[in-house]
Amino acid sequence: MNGSVAALTPILKRCSSALQVTPLSVVLLLFLVGPVIVILIFSFYIFNGFFMEPGFVTDNYEGIFTSFNTLEAYLATFKIAAITWAITLVFGFILSYYFVFDIIAFRWKIFLFLLSVVPFWTSGVVRMISWIPFLGKEGLLNRALQGIGVIDEPLEFLLFSEFAVIVSYVHMYTLFMVAPLFNVMAKIDRSLIEAARDSGASAIQIFFNIIVPLCKPGIAIGTIFVVALVMGDFVSIRVLSGGQAGTVLMSMRNQVDVLQYPFACASAVLLLIVLLMIVGGIMSVVDVRKQL
Amino acid sequence: MKGGEKIRRAPGFIPRTIFFWLFMLFLYGPIAVIAILSFQGPQGGLTFPMTGFSLHWFKDVIDPTYIGDFRWPFGRSVILAVIVMALTVLVSFLAGLAYRKGFVGGTVLFYLVITCLVAPSFLVSLGIGLGFANLEMQTQWWSGGLGAHLSWTVPIGVLIMLAVFARFDRSLEEAARDLGATEWQNLRNVVIPIMAPGMIAVGLFGFTLSYDEFPRTSLVTGTANTLPVEMVAVTGTAATPSLYAVGTMTTVFSLAVIIISFVAIYFVQARRAGRARSVQARYGKKPDVSD
Amino acid sequence: MKISPSKKLLPSITRRSALKGGAAAVAATALGGFPTVWAQDIKDIEIHMLGSAVSHIKELELMAEEALGFQILQTVVDFATLGQRAATQPRSFDTVEPAYQQINAIWPTGNFQAVDTTKLAYWDQTIGLYKKEGKIWPDAWYGQGQHPTQVQYTSAIDSRDFVEPETQWLTMIPTNHNADTLGIRPDLIGRPITSWAEFINPEFEGRAALQNFPQIGLMDLAMAIEAQGMMTYGNKGNMTRDEIDTTIDFLIELKQKGHFRAFWGTFSESVNLMLSGEVVIQSMWSPAVTAVRSQGVPCIYSDLDEGYRSWGIGFLLSKFVEGKKLDAVYDFFDWYYSGPAGAFFARQGYYMPTPEQTRQYLPADEWDFWFEGKPAVNEIKDPFGNVMEKAGSVRDGGSWKNRMGRVAIWNSTMAENAYVIQRWNEFLTA
Repeated sequence: MNGSVAALTPILKRCSSALQVTPLSVVLLLFLVGPVIVILIFSFYIFNGFFMEPGFVTDNYEGIFTSFNTLEAYLATFKIAAITWAITLVFGFILSYYFVFDIIAFRWKIFLFLLSVVPFWTSGVVRMISWIPFLGKEGLLNRALQGIGVIDEPLEFLLFSEFAVIVSYVHMYTLFMVAPLFNVMAKIDRSLIEAARDSGASAIQIFFNIIVPLCKPGIAIGTIFVVALVMGDFVSIRVLSGGQAGTVLMSMRNQVDVLQYPFACASAVLLLIVLLMIVGGIMSVVDVRKQL
Repeated sequence: MKGGEKIRRAPGFIPRTIFFWLFMLFLYGPIAVIAILSFQGPQGGLTFPMTGFSLHWFKDVIDPTYIGDFRWPFGRSVILAVIVMALTVLVSFLAGLAYRKGFVGGTVLFYLVITCLVAPSFLVSLGIGLGFANLEMQTQWWSGGLGAHLSWTVPIGVLIMLAVFARFDRSLEEAARDLGATEWQNLRNVVIPIMAPGMIAVGLFGFTLSYDEFPRTSLVTGTANTLPVEMVAVTGTAATPSLYAVGTMTTVFSLAVIIISFVAIYFVQARRAGRARSVQARYGKKPDVSD
Repeated sequence: MKISPSKKLLPSITRRSALKGGAAAVAATALGGFPTVWAQDIKDIEIHMLGSAVSHIKELELMAEEALGFQILQTVVDFATLGQRAATQPRSFDTVEPAYQQINAIWPTGNFQAVDTTKLAYWDQTIGLYKKEGKIWPDAWYGQGQHPTQVQYTSAIDSRDFVEPETQWLTMIPTNHNADTLGIRPDLIGRPITSWAEFINPEFEGRAALQNFPQIGLMDLAMAIEAQGMMTYGNKGNMTRDEIDTTIDFLIELKQKGHFRAFWGTFSESVNLMLSGEVVIQSMWSPAVTAVRSQGVPCIYSDLDEGYRSWGIGFLLSKFVEGKKLDAVYDFFDWYYSGPAGAFFARQGYYMPTPEQTRQYLPADEWDFWFEGKPAVNEIKDPFGNVMEKAGSVRDGGSWKNRMGRVAIWNSTMAENAYVIQRWNEFLTA
């Protein structure tokens, strides 16, 4: 059997890359390019007040670009994304530094990593809901704070607020920042750090002059993950903000809920473009692929 | 693995350790709430206070009377997650192989992968749903749903694979080739064993992300719901702690999965180390196997 | 805990028996006589029903399967998802049960076949609400907004239009209806609430909640605004742009003042808000009130002077259903109207369109409690056998007639719906 495979080798070699990449291309073509084309087509359809009709009109886009609401929704979304990003970045750095440099034994690394993954197997929907009994007026946290006498009245800002939304995002998405940071940090040559330390560099200097620059690709990928996840969420944001947050996805969701597909499709196209611009910006600073 | 060395802790070790365990507390806080509330009394609701302590809601999950029959959706979600896991590992491993050698259009494809990663979940779901409808076909959890999941797990799998391949020590392969190993033998005996932990990681990611996926699935499950879709449907119209009971049960289920994967990784690791030692013995070269 | 009171009361399905005989006769003549073929086939039929948790309840599925002999598979989703699947995935179900205000968008997609009233055994018994008169009682209020009859009838089996009642063809076969109002925590408010105006009373600042469904939420607010005397609407169920603007501007003002603690989007959220005391007055659905009360927390579905906001749901039939399955679906419709389901839903607080059939399956004391608004003679239990009300208690909102006879407004999709959504999104970002 090995012989016949060996005979095929020259041919295989020539087209093996093409063959190997075919499944990926098929997946991307069917489930990314396809849907995007569909969305693009529908974004030009006519909305007749109740449902869509085939056609080619630019009304839907005009609606988006002339509405003051679009800008506000994007600003609100960016604000939440930026706060979440900053927190997950700091957390991500500390955690992956801990995993890479402080934990030496491989088995411990695996164990602690799995320990941080376990909560992700409890349904995300349930985890999200569980913030309500945790952060609510009568929730665990308020009870505990009142119990130890820190506060007299329950804190209302804990739930149905941007605070609650960001807490749940940090909870769900920090790991998406940790993973790529861990990957790049693990590649850093320890002797480099040792050498710097031996020649008298402070911990802060080492961190900002050696570790951070070497972590850039990890930061880039982590940022892409977190921003895309935050800007694509429409479940947590609605429940935990008490329906009071007006992000891009919430607007889109409200349109889809009443079958205003053409508007929603046009918003989706715009959102995709905005996201790609953000990603393009990141990639122009860091060549993610080369430095993976 | 670096047993003999004296451990020299970096400055700030203690604060980082404290931070880590505080973060764990933060991660597990909601899980604790879920676990406690799933033992809510028969008259209890989704929030505190507890009205009693019972197994009522576990019974309700196993033998449902009201709304929300979680048994079939759970089965579907597990089956779907396993299929997604297998396909993700396969697709991203093959893509990783291709990217190692490089090919025409590699950069374009890479940008598509990144686009796929950031494409809003909702857009993918809506697009697939409307696409199926326009082709006069009915999307189901195992067709459109599978595609929606792959559009999320595959880009992540590809990124992980690229990262893992980037650390792949090519001298091992060269050594094998020098010894006259065919392309196939090389793949079978050198590349796959070394890549196995990475592939397990991709598999774990694929399984987790698929099993828990809601936004991409919401519009494409077709006739029958997956578990997260069923859960969201139930929260829309009922308020029983059986949701928490499902949460607790799935956590226990995942723990089992984790223990199995942990054992698997451990064995692969041990085997790899053993193999590496024999290679090392033969060629006197030290392959990079420490973590 | 788990009992199924109605199982013992299985009806004899008149039409199905008749159909069975007829089909068997046809089969017998065509194939040379093996009437058992039909009986054998029926077991293999599976009806996929897509609906909300209002009505797609496991217990009912089992009751129907036992009565009808074929498989029923219910899938539960929220109303928004339901509308989307109905509009874009007609092959994913045989029947789908949306709310009346969703029909304007769904029916014209052409994904459905009209329901033939001549094939419905109980259609002549159906209440006048769904017929020409549009009322259950002559002295009932007609209500503003989109009355069910405006979207009830169509001109032919494959039409996409809406026509005046009555024709042979129904866009959807009506099922449950009820009337919604504000839910309150009497223990935390401490005085009777008798007007929608209380909803925007500054006294409840930070302790009120509005439902986050643009169309219905807007109407709840309009009820309050009109009751408070701020403005009078031409038609609260079909507002003009100016009226929408005024209402949303006021809503934004309320939001910025922090009048609303939350804008809930799911049933469980509304229950949690009430249970935890975060909120003392809010838009609510009747089973949510029951859910709060069943946990020992007082909650009243207030009977307000200005009347109720009413809703209805019904089954649409996918155009891909045909042959024996179509017969089975009609069998199912007849069973649904024949009484056991009506009794089941009565105990949930809803009303089916054939009350006389319901009455046959509901003990007299329960009928008096649920439909007549009389004090309970015995304990009142929900469909699962849990005690809901003690003897002597009266249903809040009173009788069926007090509720459905005083419909101020119907859940509607307004002509300016696109504008409503646009402005609602602005309110969210404000």
